[in-house]
Amino acid sequence: MYNDKEASKIVDIIKNFARKHSLWIVAYGTGCGAIELPPTMTSRYDAERFGIRGSATPRQADVLLITGYLSVKTLKRVIRTYEQMQEPKYVIGFGSCTINGGMYWDSYNTIKALDRYLPVDVYINGCMPRPEAVISGFIKLQELIAQGKADGAKRYQENLEWYRENQRKVIKNWRMPEYNW
Amino acid sequence: MNSIEYILFITFIGAGLTFIVHHALPKLRDTLAILVSALDLYFVIQAISEKSKVVLSIADFHLIWKTTPYNNLFAVLIAVLGFLTILYAHDFMSSKDRLGYFYMNFLFALGGMYGIVYSQDFISLFFFWEIMTWASFLLVIYCCKDAQPIGLKYFVFSAIGAYSLLIAIVMLYSLSGNLELTNLISNFSNFSVSNQLIVVTLLLLGFGVKSAIMPLHVWAPGAYFISPSPFTALFSGALSKMGIFGIGLVLFKFAAQSGYFSYVQIILAWIGGITALLATFYAIFQTDAKKLLAYSSIGQLGYIIIGLAIGTPLSIASALFLTILHAAFKAMLFMATGAVYFRTGTTDMNSVSGLIRKMPFSFITALFGIITVSGVPPLGGFAAKWMLYESLIQSRHYFLVIVVFAASTAAFLYLYRFIFSLFLGQEEKEWEDVKEAPLLMVIPMLILSAFVLVVGVFPGLILDPISQSMNYLGNFNFNYETSVLFNEWGNQVDMQTVVNTIGAVFLIVGLIITFKGFKKTRYVSTKDIHTSGEIPQENENLTYAVDFYKPFERAIAPILKSSIDKIYTGIANNLEQAFDYLRYVYTGNGQTYAMYVVFFLSLLILFAELIFGINL
Amino acid sequence: MEINWSTILGIIFTPIIAFIVGVTYGGLTRVITARVQNRYGPPIFQNLLDIIKLYSKESNINHGVMQHLGPVFAITASVTTLFFVPVIKDSTVFTNFSFHGDLIFLLYIMVFGSLGMALGAGQTGNPNSAIGVSRGLSQLVGYEVPFVMALVAIMIQFQTTNLNDLLAVQDHFTKWIIFQSPFAFLAAILAFLGMMGYAPFDVVIAPAEIASGPPSEFGGKYLGLMLTSRSIFTFAKLVLFTDIFLGGASDFITLLIKTFILYMIPVLTGIVFPRYRTEQSIRFFWSWPLFFGIIAILVVVF
Repeated sequence: MYNDKEASKIVDIIKNFARKHSLWIVAYGTGCGAIELPPTMTSRYDAERFGIRGSATPRQADVLLITGYLSVKTLKRVIRTYEQMQEPKYVIGFGSCTINGGMYWDSYNTIKALDRYLPVDVYINGCMPRPEAVISGFIKLQELIAQGKADGAKRYQENLEWYRENQRKVIKNWRMPEYNW
Repeated sequence: MNSIEYILFITFIGAGLTFIVHHALPKLRDTLAILVSALDLYFVIQAISEKSKVVLSIADFHLIWKTTPYNNLFAVLIAVLGFLTILYAHDFMSSKDRLGYFYMNFLFALGGMYGIVYSQDFISLFFFWEIMTWASFLLVIYCCKDAQPIGLKYFVFSAIGAYSLLIAIVMLYSLSGNLELTNLISNFSNFSVSNQLIVVTLLLLGFGVKSAIMPLHVWAPGAYFISPSPFTALFSGALSKMGIFGIGLVLFKFAAQSGYFSYVQIILAWIGGITALLATFYAIFQTDAKKLLAYSSIGQLGYIIIGLAIGTPLSIASALFLTILHAAFKAMLFMATGAVYFRTGTTDMNSVSGLIRKMPFSFITALFGIITVSGVPPLGGFAAKWMLYESLIQSRHYFLVIVVFAASTAAFLYLYRFIFSLFLGQEEKEWEDVKEAPLLMVIPMLILSAFVLVVGVFPGLILDPISQSMNYLGNFNFNYETSVLFNEWGNQVDMQTVVNTIGAVFLIVGLIITFKGFKKTRYVSTKDIHTSGEIPQENENLTYAVDFYKPFERAIAPILKSSIDKIYTGIANNLEQAFDYLRYVYTGNGQTYAMYVVFFLSLLILFAELIFGINL
Repeated sequence: MEINWSTILGIIFTPIIAFIVGVTYGGLTRVITARVQNRYGPPIFQNLLDIIKLYSKESNINHGVMQHLGPVFAITASVTTLFFVPVIKDSTVFTNFSFHGDLIFLLYIMVFGSLGMALGAGQTGNPNSAIGVSRGLSQLVGYEVPFVMALVAIMIQFQTTNLNDLLAVQDHFTKWIIFQSPFAFLAAILAFLGMMGYAPFDVVIAPAEIASGPPSEFGGKYLGLMLTSRSIFTFAKLVLFTDIFLGGASDFITLLIKTFILYMIPVLTGIVFPRYRTEQSIRFFWSWPLFFGIIAILVVVF
């Protein structure tokens, strides 16, 4: 059993254990990777074994899945969805498109590296990653949570200006509401 | 002079004076009206301990005013509500014109009501009944030209009620040669059965119009909707209770003496039940807050009529309890709606939304109001509803209790619609600058809110005067303690325990959730909601208000197809056609009329022997 | 109401037991659903983990005071309902305040929570929440009517409105009300399906349709409180039905068996059925359950 070595109090251990075993995902079907989620959730691979469950709205969710390529237009919505989620929150980049642009490397309207815009905790390699790979990605995220290393939300807040700068660079008509962090 | 004389004297003189003062010293007008209603309140309370009685003899008639426990109950209700609504009117009406007219009629309506409740004979009752009707009619048509057809409808139905009342009074006089209440009550059992039936039916018809029971309700939605909010509060809260006052008197003082009483009871109870159910269904689909409350008011009076009609001690107690509560909560709701109208200029539920953070006190009033109407513990409505259900079940009205319960559950729908549309939901940019209503409007609302809260915890406080007035109506005894209610099978509800439990759990959990990570809980605006990532713009309307209960409407569509209003409109249209034909007869030409006269006289002469038995 | 040790013990332990049982039943439901769908399913304490995780969320948002208090209203209603239902028959500790309330009071306190929740959901300003509330209240009118008919039939038959008296009547299993007035039970259990909100009557939450409806803006501790409340409320409703129809229970084992059997009715129905539309759902409650309710009353009258 992995656990945060620095967690001195038993409360933190319990918290991390619960967070680790209860991952509610808001599956933002940005790209083709979304099609891998149904087999992951249903009978064959049954991700619910690990406490992974879909949630209806970002307010209730813990994990944001970026399933594949991300066009600039979609990025705006993804950022808003991410900012509406409650901390602690985790981002999983799905497939090679989120890592380096993949086959959309020289596309004019997709972003290349996701973690310039959102703090990514775990990448899942592949094009497409198969459900086994998805599940192994989730288990990696669980390990990180238990060790207290999945701190994407904290990084995002600390480097908010840097992220905003990058976001504003690609999103031309920036009309986002101001959040009272 | 004793208190009753003071009350009638002050109110009517005060009414005239406000009209004069309005033209001479407009600044004093409101103060005078408030003073008059405050003095009324003082003397009404004085009259309870004084046991006043006034006799005025004109020709052969004795006009009698007296205090009885039953009268006092209604008089206090009128006085308190009158005082609060006049207080409320001061700011609400400040921007309107013709205020002399408004206050005069307001006080006349109040005076009429005092006269009705204190009178112990049918002449003065009818006299004051007419004053009240006229004053309220003039206030219904106060606002604008649109009010005229609505005023006409109110007037026609009031006239129907008044005529049936008058016929009943004439019948009573011809049968007993007397119009004093005490004499009539003791003579009533001597009348023949058919006479008893006719008198009771006519009296119930007359009083029923004012309390808007179902086939006679069509005037109410319009009249409540169009009259100015302070008066609507009084109209629905106190004026409609005059019908209840009369029905209670007729049922237990007259009808109870005869053998067919149980049939009257059953018919009236079912009329009340159907009134409650249908009015609730209509209320659900209204788009205007005041119209919604108007239908709700009709429905609530249906419950009161059921309670009176069932006639067991518990049911009468619940009816009178509901009478007082209805006066309070309907005044609260109309006042809150009025406050919204005062600040936004509309009561359309499709356009106003999200006022909660701008008008917190109005919201609290509306919240307490809807909790009381819905009958959810711990506020006062629960005790009344509880007594009504228990009495219905124990008097074996199996299906009526289902109807009442269905109506009561369906009431949640329109109550939620009301508070959601006005106060909750999206905070639109259009209503950004709305402020809370002025202090003098908020105070009456909060006083009434405190009242329903106290009554909810200690229903016994109100049940004391109610049980006294029930002893006046007949030999009705029921069991209660200050905060414990009992049914006829001996089962109880202990409001103290209930309130303690609810309060304790609410406080503990509320505190935990507030203090646990208090600083990390942040407020976000209602534009920052889950919209699938889409960013709503400032002027984008996200409120879900139009056709709020479409699924429910589809489910009960067959019931709503026909409405009584349509039937009446049909009758009215047919009558109009019939009168069109009459116009051929009444040509307006003098020569034609002269010819008619000659024709009529010749007819008379021709058939003189046949008709009069005279041989010319 | 006199305060003594057994009262205090009851006040402390009843909600805790209710929570544990409710949460475990919730987990069991997920396991059973998984097995029906030929999956392995989550661990049985998954719901508990979810709730702990939600409470340990570090940031929370609300849209105002009513949303803040909405879940508090819900849990107040759940716990109050629980306190006025005798959990264990003839027990000094677990009857709590059931002598101070009756069935009509329970009917009203049971809707208290949903109304408070509806107010909270209303303030979020999310159209999905409002749609959910509108559906929920419409459906409430649907299933309350047959439920009240069943209760009225029972109240008239046994001349009492207090649960403890009803328990006293059912002192032998042949005298359980499920056998004494089966039509009332049919009406009530069909209404119970609607009350629990599983498919086909899950129009309120309708996950893939209106983004979970009323709770769609609730996250973190608010959602955690709502799930806690739902667990307690599920147990309270199950105990209420057990007390009314199945003769209550004099020890915890019996209670668990009876409530579990009762709980499986809506759960198993929910697994195999798709979702009704709101008006279909209302019409359903006004057809067969209403018919059974009328029969139940007529049987009592004649």
